[in-house]
Amino acid sequence: MPRLARCPLPAPSTVAWLFVALLTVSAPAVAQHLLIPMDDAQQNHLKAYGLTFAALKTGSKAEWFLNYRGGSFLLIDEPALRRKAALDGVTIEPIDDGAVAQVRREIAAGNMDAVTLEKAPKIAIYSPPKSPPWDDAVTLALKYAGIEYTQIWDDEVLKTDIAKFDWIHLFHEDFTGQLNKLYLGFRDAPWFIEERDRDLGTAQRNGYANIPALKKAVAERLHNFVQRGGFLFAMCNATESLELAMASQNVDISGPFSDGTPMDPDADSKMDWTQTFAFQNAHLEMSSGVNALSDIDGHQVNVPARRQPLGQFTLFNFSAKFDPVASMLVQNHRNVIPDYYGVTTSFARSVLKPGVTVLANEEGTPWAKYIHGDYGKGSWTYLGGHDPEDPQHNIGAPPTDLALHANSPGYRLILNNVLFPAAKKKPLKT
Amino acid sequence: MTVRAARLLRRLSCAICWLTLSGAALGAQAQNQLFQRALDLENASRYREAVAAWRSVIASGATAQGILGLERVFTQLGQEDSVLPPLDSALALHPADRALRGAQLRLLRSMGRESEARTAFDIWRRILSRDVAPYHDYASQLLQEGHTAAADTVLQQATTALGSVQGLTIEIAQLRAALGLWGQAAIAWREAMAAELYIESAAIYSLMPAPVAARDSVRGVLAKLPMSAPRKRTLGALELGWGAPRNAWRVLSTLTVADSAYDSWNEFAQDAERAGAWLVARDAFVAMHKQRPNASIALRAAQASINGGDAAAALPLLASAREMLQPFAIRTQVLPLQLRALSQLGRGAEAEALLATSADVEAGARKSYARLVAWAWIRGGEIERARAALAGANGDDEDEVTAWLALYDGNLAKARPGLRRPVEITAEAVTVMTFLGRTQADSSRTAGRAFLALVRGDSAQASADLERAADELPDAAPFLLALAARVHVARHQDPAAIVLWERIVTHFAAAPEAAESDLEWARALIRAKNNSGAIERLEHLLLTYPQSALLPQARRELETLRTRAAEQ
Repeated sequence: MPRLARCPLPAPSTVAWLFVALLTVSAPAVAQHLLIPMDDAQQNHLKAYGLTFAALKTGSKAEWFLNYRGGSFLLIDEPALRRKAALDGVTIEPIDDGAVAQVRREIAAGNMDAVTLEKAPKIAIYSPPKSPPWDDAVTLALKYAGIEYTQIWDDEVLKTDIAKFDWIHLFHEDFTGQLNKLYLGFRDAPWFIEERDRDLGTAQRNGYANIPALKKAVAERLHNFVQRGGFLFAMCNATESLELAMASQNVDISGPFSDGTPMDPDADSKMDWTQTFAFQNAHLEMSSGVNALSDIDGHQVNVPARRQPLGQFTLFNFSAKFDPVASMLVQNHRNVIPDYYGVTTSFARSVLKPGVTVLANEEGTPWAKYIHGDYGKGSWTYLGGHDPEDPQHNIGAPPTDLALHANSPGYRLILNNVLFPAAKKKPLKT
Repeated sequence: MTVRAARLLRRLSCAICWLTLSGAALGAQAQNQLFQRALDLENASRYREAVAAWRSVIASGATAQGILGLERVFTQLGQEDSVLPPLDSALALHPADRALRGAQLRLLRSMGRESEARTAFDIWRRILSRDVAPYHDYASQLLQEGHTAAADTVLQQATTALGSVQGLTIEIAQLRAALGLWGQAAIAWREAMAAELYIESAAIYSLMPAPVAARDSVRGVLAKLPMSAPRKRTLGALELGWGAPRNAWRVLSTLTVADSAYDSWNEFAQDAERAGAWLVARDAFVAMHKQRPNASIALRAAQASINGGDAAAALPLLASAREMLQPFAIRTQVLPLQLRALSQLGRGAEAEALLATSADVEAGARKSYARLVAWAWIRGGEIERARAALAGANGDDEDEVTAWLALYDGNLAKARPGLRRPVEITAEAVTVMTFLGRTQADSSRTAGRAFLALVRGDSAQASADLERAADELPDAAPFLLALAARVHVARHQDPAAIVLWERIVTHFAAAPEAAESDLEWARALIRAKNNSGAIERLEHLLLTYPQSALLPQARRELETLRTRAAEQ
C-alpha cells in the first residue's frame, strides 16, 4: 500500500498499521444495500429502472419502496451494480442495515410500503419487424433504460406460445385492421403502401381474407393472454382499437377501404362488450371519412372539429398498503404531468366499465388518461397518448432522444409498468 | 303656394340645413373633447374618473372608442367583467361592429370564460358569415396563448365557411410553426410574404425555433427561386440566428440596390459583429464599401478582418481608407490597424518600416506600437529583432511583450508577472498562464523553445520540445504532455497522441488532464474504428473520474457507441 507508506503519520506499531489497513480495506463493504432514490435527487430516473431490472436479472431480489422518495428501489450492494450505476449516471446511496431499518420504520409510519421484486419479467413488445416512420415510446424507454425485450408481431402472436411472456406491450397498432385510417391522408405514401402490403401478406399467410380479420384474430389471442394471467400494457391507438376488435368479433366495423365491404350499419348495437377489458357502450364512428374509430377517445386529435386542447393530468395518490398495484403504477417524482396527444389521447369516463381503476385524469374534463384493471387471471394497463416528451407527435417528426429527457415523469409511468410484473408473486390486494 | 310662402319655406330649409351642419360640427368637436379628456384621465392613471369620461364618450355616439377605453381602464382596475354590461348594450345597437365583437371575445377569454367566448365567436361568425375577422381574431388569440389545436379548429372552420384562407395566411403560418410542421410553416410564410408587407419580423420570430433537423426544409422552402427581397432578409436573419452566418451572408449578398441592400447589409454586419462572426461581418462591410466607398466602413471591415484572423485581407482595405482620410485620422485610426495586421502576419520588417516612416506619432502611442512591431518579429521567430524593437519601449517587469520574450528565453520567473493579466485573452495566453501556474520552476529553456515553436507554427518541433519539457518539469508534466498530444492530433497523428494520453492516464491519474486524456483517447479510437477500445476508455473515464465535468459528454458518446454496436 504505497499511499499508506508515504503517509506522514507518526510511525505506528505493526498492529496499529494492520488495524488501519483493515479499516481501509473494509470501508466499501460497510454498505450492504444500495438505495436508488427516485425523487429529485436522482440524476437519471429512466436508467434507474434499468439498474433495478439488471439486479433482478442476476437473480438478486430488490425492493420497491412505494411512495418513499418518489418510489425508490433498494438493491443489494454489488460491485457490478455500482459499476453499472456509475456508467449510466444513476444516483445511488450506499446504506447499511441500520439505515435500512430506519427507512423501514419511516415507511411503516406513513402511506408507504415496501414491495419485493422477485424476478426480471419476460417482456415482449408487439411491434412490426420494420418500424414505421414514427417511433414507439415503450421501445424507446426500454432501449434507453437497457431493459431486454423480445419483439413479436402477428406471426408470433398467432403461431407461438405467448404465455411464456410475463408482460406484453402493444405498439400503437390499429386492431380494427383499418391502419389507423391513415388511408385518408397517406394512401400514396410509400411507407403506408409497404405497411398495408406487409399486413395483407401476413393475413394471406395465416389464412385470413383481409387485414381486419387478421387483426381480430390477433386481438383474440391477446385477450386470451390476459385472461390466462398475462400483463398487458398498451398506449395510444392500441388501447381503443384492441377493445373495439375484441368487442366486434362477430360484426364488421371496418371501412370499405380496408376489407372491401362497408361497415355493418347496425354495428353499434351488435358490439359484444362482455369481451372487453376496459370499455363498454362506446359508439363507433360510422363515417369512413372521419379519422376516428369511436367516441372512446376524449381528445379526437385527428378530427379538427372535435379536437380538444391539451392540458395536464394528475396522478392519483393511492394507499400504498391497501392498493399496492395502483400505487406501483403511479410512482413518480411529479404528480402533475403535461398531457400529450396520440391517435387515442384519453379515455372518456362515460364508457369505462365499473371496476376500472383510474390512475390519472385531467381535472374538470370528462376523460381519464391512465387506467388499469384485472381481467381473468391477468391484468391490463392503458396509457393514452403517444410520446410523453413529444406532445404533438406529428408523422415524420424526429424520434425523441431520451438522453435529453432522463428525468421524464411521463416515461416513468411506462417503466413502472415494466417492473410491476416483477412483484407478481406478492399477494396483491387490489 | 304663394311666391312669398315659397321664399319663406326656402329660407326655413336653409336655416334648418345650416343649423344641422353647424350642430354636427359642434357635435364632432364636443366628441373630440370628451375623447381627449377621457384619454388624459386614463394616461394620468385617474381610472375612476376615466371610467365616467369613457361612458360620456359612449353617450356621445363614439361607441367603439368608448368601449375600448373602458376595456383598458377596467383591465387596469382588475374589473374586466364591468365592461360586459355596456358592451352588451353596445352590441345590441351595433351587432356587426368588428371592434366591439373583438373586444367581447378578448374580454371573455381574458376572464377564462371559454365557453361564452366560443358562443360569442359563433354569433359573430353567424352575423358576418363572409367576414374573415372573427376567425382572424379568435385564432390569433388562441395562438398567442399556445392553444394550437383549438386555433387549428378555428382555421379549419374558416376554410369551410369562407371557401379560402385569404386573410388568415399569417395565422396559418403561425399555427403550422406551433405544431412543429416547419416545412409547411415556411411555405405558409412564403405565401404570406408574397401577399403582405412588413411581416418579416413575424416570420423570423415564428421560424427561428425550428429544430436543427427541420431547418433544411425551411431553407429549401424560403430559398425557392425567384427569391423576393423580404424572403432573402428573412432567411438571412434565420441563418444568423441558427449560428450559420456564412449561409446568411450567401443569401443577403444577392440583394440589389433596388432592395435597399445597403441598409440590410449594415444591419446584418452589426448583428454579425455582435455574434462574433467577424469574417462574415467583414464581407458585409466590404460589400457596403464597394457600393458606397466610405473610410469608416473600410476601417470597420479591416477591424473585423483582423479580429477574424484574416489580417492579410485587412491591408488593402486599410490602404483604401488611407486614401480617403486626413493625416491625423491616418495616424490615429489606420496606423494602429495596419500595425496589428502586420504583427498578426509576422511581417516585422514592414511593420518596423511603417512605424519609422510615420511622422508625428506621440511618444506613448509609439511605445505601444513598438510592442506590435515586436510581436511581428516574434511571430516571425526573430526574437533578437523583437528585443531590439522593444528597446526603450519596455519599461517594467510587468510588460506583457517582455514577459513573452522572457518565456521564449525559458526565463519563467521573469515571464510570470507580465503574463498575469494579459491585455488580450487569447488561447495562447491562457495556455501559457496555465503552464506558469502549474510549475514551480523558474526556468526551462526546453519549455521556452516549445512555446516559441508553437508561435512560429512549427508543430513538429513544438510537440517534441513539449515532451522533453515534460521530463524536465514533473509538476507540469501532464499539462505539457496533453498539450503535445493536442498538437499531434492537429497534425493527424493520433497514434503519437495516444502514447501521450496513455502516459497521462497511467502515470498521472490524479492530474486534471487525466479525464480529458481518456475522452480524447476514446475519440481517437473511434476515428480508428476501434469501437470496443473506445467503449473501454469511456467506461474507464466514467468509473475513475465520477466528479469530472466531462461525464455527460462521455456518457453521451458511450451511449452512441453502444447503440451502434447493438445495431451491427
